[in-house]
Amino acid sequence: MAVYKRGYQRYQGPLTTHWQRLLVLPRFAWQRLFQQRLVVILLIGSLIWPLLCAGFVYLSNRLDLLQSLPGDLKHMVDISGKFFLVFMNVQSVFALLLAAMTGPGLIAPDLANNALPLYFSRPLTRVDYVAARMATLAGLLSFITWVPGMALFFMQTGMAGGTWFLNNWRLGAGVFCGFILWIAVVSLVALASSAYVKWRIIAGGLVLGFFFLLAGVAQMVNAVLRVDWGSLLDPVRSMYTIWSSMLGVAPPDGPGVWSCVSVLAALAFLLGLILERKLRPVEVIS
Amino acid sequence: MTGAEVIFEDVSKFYGEVLGVNKVTLHIPPGITSLVGPNGSGKTTLMNLMTGLIHPDRGSISVLGLSPRDPEHLMRISGYATQFDSAPRWATGMEFVTTGLTLYGYSSTEVRERAWQALEQVGLTEAAGRKVAGYSKGMRQRVRLAQAIAHDPQVLVLDEPLNGLDPLVRADTINLFRHYASQGRHVILSSHVLQEVDLISDQVILIANGMIVAEGEIRGVRDEISEHPSQFILRCRDASRIASMLFCEDHVTEIKMNDDRLGLLVMTRNREEFSRALTRIALAGHVIDGVIPADENVDALYEYLIGGGRS
Repeated sequence: MAVYKRGYQRYQGPLTTHWQRLLVLPRFAWQRLFQQRLVVILLIGSLIWPLLCAGFVYLSNRLDLLQSLPGDLKHMVDISGKFFLVFMNVQSVFALLLAAMTGPGLIAPDLANNALPLYFSRPLTRVDYVAARMATLAGLLSFITWVPGMALFFMQTGMAGGTWFLNNWRLGAGVFCGFILWIAVVSLVALASSAYVKWRIIAGGLVLGFFFLLAGVAQMVNAVLRVDWGSLLDPVRSMYTIWSSMLGVAPPDGPGVWSCVSVLAALAFLLGLILERKLRPVEVIS
Repeated sequence: MTGAEVIFEDVSKFYGEVLGVNKVTLHIPPGITSLVGPNGSGKTTLMNLMTGLIHPDRGSISVLGLSPRDPEHLMRISGYATQFDSAPRWATGMEFVTTGLTLYGYSSTEVRERAWQALEQVGLTEAAGRKVAGYSKGMRQRVRLAQAIAHDPQVLVLDEPLNGLDPLVRADTINLFRHYASQGRHVILSSHVLQEVDLISDQVILIANGMIVAEGEIRGVRDEISEHPSQFILRCRDASRIASMLFCEDHVTEIKMNDDRLGLLVMTRNREEFSRALTRIALAGHVIDGVIPADENVDALYEYLIGGGRS
């Protein structure tokens, strides 16, 4: 054995924090995503409905303009839980489309190019990697979900005054928490599809198929077995029930809010399990 | 010494029913260590285990006192270049190295400086601005090496690092490994080019069927193999006379004379006795120009310990 002089000195300089390092992955991912024209178009398109809603908020607070509207329309621009529920429903569809478009490109290429060993040869755990990938989607989806939602809420607060806020703060909390839940579910589905299928387009189709097929299956179960618990198989409907409860709107007929929460939690657990199984630094083919 | 070594204690790893490595116990000191073995023998599994990409089913691993289950600390002192061509094709060489470096938490200035230094060390500065997609196989190999050394690791783990390199770059790369080793760092590599392993390694680990066949300095390992006589090449002017004298020694099993009658290939079962016999022959007035061990190399060890099927 050769005898070596130990001249090596480790780096002793300052380092950025763990979270700053994690944000490196979303930063690079966003850069690449924003280079895709379709993503940019969809993002811009997703902001049309919030702009229209902002117009409704404005109208509802301008009594002089409101007086000139016909009766039915006056009722429509009432800023209530129902208003925010409709807003969330529309934006959730855009969020789903955006997740289906961008989510598969986050993990599938890493798996296809055998790049996971590169990531995990850095000070990065699997949980960190998934968190960073989820943060990529969460950031993107936030831009079209709770951010405009909260902007609407605060716009209404600003125009209607402090009393309205005190009476309706629950709407703001509902919009924020409801969208965060939706982002979590959609992101998990997108990442699990991306980890399960290495081809981006198929993974994107799988994300959409997951929601639409389950909705169909839920309807079939309800119709064939003449029950209503089949709706639990439909994550969109379960989420709608939870949102309704959060916003103080009468929930649709069917399973209660806690059943829906339990089913979505179980779904999240299953999707997490898929990610745990598929995201291995070294692929083992038995 | 444990804090300065890579230690495997009774490590086993199975891929389902397929054996990866079995009951491996190793203490790897600083310097250049080569993993040698046929395809599928478990070399890459050992490397993946020590870098925490996979975890053992049994036993424990410690890399300079750190657990491979703690990538936050382990990967700050370790650099790993896998054998697969995993560099993203959209990135330039510089971007590939800097992207990896940012995950270590360096400042952007530090990242650029380190990336440039790493690319300089592997001779890729001229191609740093070109897309990795346009790189040749050897250049991709070098850019992978650059990303592994860019954070100046104390333990460098390299899977087949010399594959695809031209002779000049190969020599430069070997010098880089030597430089790392000279600073008391670990350079652990696998290679199929046995002559190079022989040339650069401070110690070798021979592995076959997931089990360690031999470990240590090449000469030390050779000394342990008693069933194969040691071979020496003697350069001498009086070859036939010396051959007849050596035949009188019990430990000499075979002697072959060179065609030019100026050299002998001697096989002996006892190196010490052989050494003493040579001294006696020299003292008797016979000129011996040189004695070279003929099988103190990885090639011979491989042949003796693992046999055919060399990869």
